[in-house]
Amino acid sequence: MISVENLSKDYLLKKKAPGLSGALKGLVKRKYEEIHAVKDLSFHIDEGEIVGFIGPNGAGKSTTIKMMAGILTPTSGNVFINGEDITKHRKEVVRNIGVVFGQRSQLNWDLRLGESFELLKHIYQIKQKDYEATLDVMDEILGIRELLDKPVRQMSLGQRVKGDLVAAMLHSPKVLFLDEPTIGLDVSSKFALRTFIKEINKIKKTTVILTTHDLGDIEELCERLIIINHGVMMEDGNLSQIVDRIAPYKTLVVEYYDDIAPEHVRCEMIEHEGNIAKYKFMKQETTAAEIIADLSKEKNIKDVSIEEAGIDDIIKIAYGA
Amino acid sequence: MKKYFYIIKTQIIKTMTYEFNVYGNIIMQTIIMITSAYFWKALYRNQDNVGGVDADSMLTYIIISSLLSVLLITNVEKRIEQSVIKGTVATDMMRPINVFGGYFAEDIGSIIALFFQNMLPIFIIGSIFIKVPKMADITALPLFIISVVESFLINWLIAALFGMIAFTAINIDALIQVKKHLLRLLSGSIIPVWFFPEKVANVLEVLPFVYIYQLPLSIYIGKGDRADQIRGMEIQFVWLVILAAIFLYAQKRATRKVMVQGG
Repeated sequence: MISVENLSKDYLLKKKAPGLSGALKGLVKRKYEEIHAVKDLSFHIDEGEIVGFIGPNGAGKSTTIKMMAGILTPTSGNVFINGEDITKHRKEVVRNIGVVFGQRSQLNWDLRLGESFELLKHIYQIKQKDYEATLDVMDEILGIRELLDKPVRQMSLGQRVKGDLVAAMLHSPKVLFLDEPTIGLDVSSKFALRTFIKEINKIKKTTVILTTHDLGDIEELCERLIIINHGVMMEDGNLSQIVDRIAPYKTLVVEYYDDIAPEHVRCEMIEHEGNIAKYKFMKQETTAAEIIADLSKEKNIKDVSIEEAGIDDIIKIAYGA
Repeated sequence: MKKYFYIIKTQIIKTMTYEFNVYGNIIMQTIIMITSAYFWKALYRNQDNVGGVDADSMLTYIIISSLLSVLLITNVEKRIEQSVIKGTVATDMMRPINVFGGYFAEDIGSIIALFFQNMLPIFIIGSIFIKVPKMADITALPLFIISVVESFLINWLIAALFGMIAFTAINIDALIQVKKHLLRLLSGSIIPVWFFPEKVANVLEVLPFVYIYQLPLSIYIGKGDRADQIRGMEIQFVWLVILAAIFLYAQKRATRKVMVQGG
């Protein structure tokens, strides 16, 4: 479906000294710094996948998405969508692509939402029948019809993002790119958006590629994660695989009746305070049940709990923070 | 083609959204028009004829020039600059249309809206306060219409070429202003170049600018004979072809250099 091969993007960034004197100097003498926003990225995405692109701010996520959507021209490397090179056949390939940027809208500020949709209907040459059918589906998930007569400039952020999602889906693209779609949304709007993504993925088999900083988005939506940092791919795989690879351990927390805590051969005691002790063990070597059984032979145990590396820990580790 | 017509239609709706802007434009054009009228009346006080043009024709010239200036409003360079600054150029790029074709359709839409909102009022104001701008020789009407269409295209292509600079330079406000005022001066929209020293006029007649305003206006007021007018239109056509060629060459390269600002 989507193949990315050795994708790189370099920018020339004007380097300016800070302050007014810096600005004045910059007028006469310019220094440029080459920024490698994306470095030699290669991956393949199949039809119907939901892939989460994650990484800290400035990691090159948006740049990658923009290149995949044919908006930015790569410095080197290729993007193929359905086997077609995006830089060579932009006008044809973009028919199969929908894009939503959480921070900017493709809707027309001066028009009513319905008018914006009508314009897109004509630009993409969508048949009236298909247009109505898509709107029906969108109405069921997002309740979009009641917004059609509202001018976009009077919409709330949540409504506008809904409008943007529908606008991106009107031509039934095979691939939907979402660049931080949930940014700034309240809980119920986020919920609606996630439902929307899951539904279109199910009903229309749309391949979804999204960037996000929202852990909820990742947990609920992404079967596969691509983690990038400094423009380089750090991890690629499904969530549990990545967790197993980055954090192949769990932590067992045991509460005793007194302050003495026994050691165990197959795990490491990482903390001991009062009557609570924390044991870190490798998932492949042993199980929590085994350790509890062994420990309970030596001492009476009051309570146990297991801490697992969560997605936020994974991200912290993967980002190298 | 149909999609571009729809862009035109949508742009008409958009342009009609802010009525207040319209009145400002009418007032500005009226001031320029009436001031120029007094200016020319004063200049012609002791003379009947300058360069084969009498005072009455000169008044027609400035009224039609005011009307043309509405037709020759181009938004394309501002449009590109704004979408590059705001980063919405991404939206323009991801649609299955020619990006510049879209900008062109938007400008056509604005002009259709402005025809009713600005041109008609200015025509009426000019007719009442200055004179009814009658065409000197009605048989030249086809020539006039063709030359206006060509001058519109020349003007648009120059603006689009300027706009392309914004793809890399991002902010081109100052450049747009320089272009706008230079164009006013060099195109004969306020002062026809036959009032300039001969050497300057000769140079200007080789450049494309006089073919934006002065040529269609000269045809309208009947300056020179038919052969002069046809010769002017030939040069105008050559410029149109040259600019179109440069434009076609530049547009592919320009869109490749697009900078999309923001996260």
